[in-house]
Amino acid sequence: MGKKELKVAFLLALRSLQRGSRSSVILTILIIGMCFTNMVFLPGLFNGIGQSITKQIVDYETGNVMVNPKTGEQYVTDLDALLDRINSMPGVERATPHYTKAATVKYRDRVLGVSVRAIKPGDEKFVSPLYTKMVSGSYLGEDDTGEVIIGKPIAGDPTIKRADENQASLGGVRVGDSITLEYGGIVREYRVKGIYYTGWYSADTTMYTTWSDMEQVEGKALDKAEYITVKIKPGYSEKFIKNELQQYGVSEDVQTMSDLLEKSMGRALQSFAIINAVSLFVGVIITTVVLFIVITIKTLNSRKQIGILKAIGVDKEVIMHNFGLQVIILAILGIAFGVIMTFLLSIYMAYNPVVTPEWSATLYLTPMDYVTNCLILFLASVVAGYVPAYQVSREDIQSAMRA
Amino acid sequence: MIDINDLQKIYRMGDVEVRALDGVTLDIQKGEFLGIMGASGSGKTTLLHMLGLLDEPTSGNIIIDGTDIGRLSDYEKTMFRLYKLGYVFQDYALVPDLTVMENVSLPAMLRKDRDEEQIKNDSASILKKIGLYERQDHLPRELSGGQQQRVSIARAMVNKPDILFADEPCANLDSESSRVVLELFKEINEDFNQTIVMVSHEDWHKDYFHRIVRLKDGKVISDGFNGKDKKAA
Ligand SMILES: Nc1ncnc2c1ncn2[C@@H]1O[C@H](COP(=O)(O)OP(=O)(O)OP(=O)(O)O)[C@@H](O)[C@H]1O
Ligand SMILES: [Mg+2]
Repeated sequence: MGKKELKVAFLLALRSLQRGSRSSVILTILIIGMCFTNMVFLPGLFNGIGQSITKQIVDYETGNVMVNPKTGEQYVTDLDALLDRINSMPGVERATPHYTKAATVKYRDRVLGVSVRAIKPGDEKFVSPLYTKMVSGSYLGEDDTGEVIIGKPIAGDPTIKRADENQASLGGVRVGDSITLEYGGIVREYRVKGIYYTGWYSADTTMYTTWSDMEQVEGKALDKAEYITVKIKPGYSEKFIKNELQQYGVSEDVQTMSDLLEKSMGRALQSFAIINAVSLFVGVIITTVVLFIVITIKTLNSRKQIGILKAIGVDKEVIMHNFGLQVIILAILGIAFGVIMTFLLSIYMAYNPVVTPEWSATLYLTPMDYVTNCLILFLASVVAGYVPAYQVSREDIQSAMRA
Repeated sequence: MIDINDLQKIYRMGDVEVRALDGVTLDIQKGEFLGIMGASGSGKTTLLHMLGLLDEPTSGNIIIDGTDIGRLSDYEKTMFRLYKLGYVFQDYALVPDLTVMENVSLPAMLRKDRDEEQIKNDSASILKKIGLYERQDHLPRELSGGQQQRVSIARAMVNKPDILFADEPCANLDSESSRVVLELFKEINEDFNQTIVMVSHEDWHKDYFHRIVRLKDGKVISDGFNGKDKKAA
């Protein structure tokens, strides 16, 4: 295949696309574009959901590394010493304890069971962005007692009737209101200091109070925790910190966020992977079939012309590449269209994410995702186009011309 | 320059055997304007296809300029057509998506011995010769049948082939257009000493031919110059 042959093949391909059926060209490009979008949309969305869930879990549940009680024990004990030890290790930004107690909350005529989570507000700021999520009032001060911050879904909305609520609430608590918490016998009055909304369901249905307040509830200094979350410094890996903690005498159960995610979401991640594979497969098959049909029809309609071209001395390679190049041009345009569509869609979704109580998701696509999908679709297109192109180019002149 | 020896072409369809060519032997000289005539089904197209390397005989051989074309590979045949032959079809057979100029240049573009400059000059001069230089940017569908046939002749002529074949080039044309096309062949034949083998079954075309070969049932029944029989079969 020399330069001249390629040039003629390209001229024939280009002219056929330019002067052939405009609508068939546009439709083909549209379909390839749609297939591309379809191929990347679901996986991108799942990635986005995954990213969003992961971030929320890190922010409100586990931190980068989570220290849990030793097996068989209920609490992480000797807390202050342990926190000091962890905080002094290289790569640790901050370790902060959590202690949760079940309570019944009363407000006017509403009664609700909730978890009250004690935190060290100052340290918590290093680990969780909770303090940035206040929708009214303010975040907890270090030594506040008798004050809580509560999630917006629990505070509720006074304009919604109880019967219409899709989630039980206190029916419209405002900052400054008094609520009563009862921890198995101990009854305490609290002032609602602030209301937050994180978008992470389990954080939004919890109440937070200070470590000092919980010590008053317990009636003693609280040198134990339910679990500790650790934020690591940039440049350190979770795995490194985990190993470091274990190596330097933290005998508690240390897990990285990824370990935990793997455990809790393993099945969900697997399902995502299957759905992604299916949508990729479907996209590739549709594109292949469509291009195969388009080019097959084109070759069948051009059989006589192919015979003529051969008769005047055009080699079969030139004829094959004529159709092959048409597919390549269509595929490039279609994929470019798909990339633009997906890109616009991802911009749109960045501003209008899919939001549910559990997560909010945008399209998450890395340049690598784009490149891989482009290549896969391109290769599929080339195969789909060259198969009929090859076949028709081998046909003998007599049968082609008689077509 | 063309040596045809005992050419046979037999089509078998089930039990039926059609002898489309039944022992054709002919010599065609350089510079001849040869007409192949005969009734429908007499084997004219079949013979021309054999000569144009578009089909293979059942037996017999064809030697063009010393080359036994039966021995050529598929690719060599393609190159033989590109470098030595020109072919004009009954239905013009232009590429509908290419302009007049692109159609005419196409065979030249594939030749290794032609550069851009020569392709342009050759295409332009042949288009001028057929009188359609001004229409070079038109698409075939924008031309009349006679004009399209002239373009198809230009395409066949652009590489200055040794032999020009034409299978009923006037069959789809009115007599006025037919005359224009035949005059063009005559001119090409006289100006370039171009060998032309043309199939026709219109009686009045014979005035243009130097030599007329008549076929019947796949056999040569007469072969003569200027209407006089050279030999009778
Ligand atoms: N592909 C084929 N299969 C079977 N028979 C064929 C085939 N091509 C031609 N024939 C037969 O061979 C004979 C010669 O056909 P050919 O096309 O050469 O005739 P022709 O002289 O060109 O006729 P026309 O003037 O109608 O074009 C006919 O009987 C025809 O039916
Ligand atoms: Mg015929």
